[in-house]
Amino acid sequence: MSNESPASTDQPGHVIRHRGPERLYHWVMAISVLTLLGTAFLPIIGVKFAWVDAHWIAGVVLLGLVLIHIVRATIWLDVWSMMIGPRDISDAWHAARWTLGAGDPPPLPGKYPLLQKGYHAAIALTVLALLATGTMMMVRIDVPFWDRNPYWLSPPTWGIVYVIHDLSAMMVLALVMVHIYFGLRPEKLWITRSMILGWITHADYASHHDPARWKVDKGERE
Amino acid sequence: MELFRITRDAWGQETLAGVSWDLLPWFVGAAAAFIILHALWFLARRPGKGAGR
Repeated sequence: MSNESPASTDQPGHVIRHRGPERLYHWVMAISVLTLLGTAFLPIIGVKFAWVDAHWIAGVVLLGLVLIHIVRATIWLDVWSMMIGPRDISDAWHAARWTLGAGDPPPLPGKYPLLQKGYHAAIALTVLALLATGTMMMVRIDVPFWDRNPYWLSPPTWGIVYVIHDLSAMMVLALVMVHIYFGLRPEKLWITRSMILGWITHADYASHHDPARWKVDKGERE
Repeated sequence: MELFRITRDAWGQETLAGVSWDLLPWFVGAAAAFIILHALWFLARRPGKGAGR
């Protein structure tokens, strides 16, 4: 990757933060996750409807999206920019001290701040647990791919699968609530805008990111 | 409050059917509490400190 010098704040144009395929992935994933949460929890709180087909179809869509995302992030994107490393832990320590009124402001992050990386790790692990158990549970219902087989696993093993699926589902609900909250916070709207339009301003780039840790190349400017 | 959903199979044996839905309000409540506490903390901290971070 050919990197260039950091952009200045008064530079015209934008810095690309999320390309089209990543934005499409995010919003289609959002629709499928909200469909999964709605078809899972609305019947539990008393809104009765035929939820099974919509639930497994949304689950299959999410499974396909996640598999595509894993391949794309591993091969074509900078997967390490989303990984939590020792430097993030050090920055978190500085941030905690500064928040409590001690020490200097923490250093600016690279493309993704620690809290975003932490959220991504939490939602990724939870969704993977949901998808693994949900795919196993599909064996118990008639779908176009196979005939149902409720005896594939022993009842105690199915019980463990259900427990993991239920806990993961409630965890995703809580994580999505927090995600939407931060997405709507005024001081975070520049990030939300980048997930809609793809770009951030050069001023956003200079004030929220360390150019040495997120080097913007020609292809990331417009 | 129950932690698990237990059913009986065709032979009358108890089988694990998942996590109790009594836990659902706790997950929603934890997320709501986090949101409220963060919003209050953000309002209470010194003006300008870390704005935009």
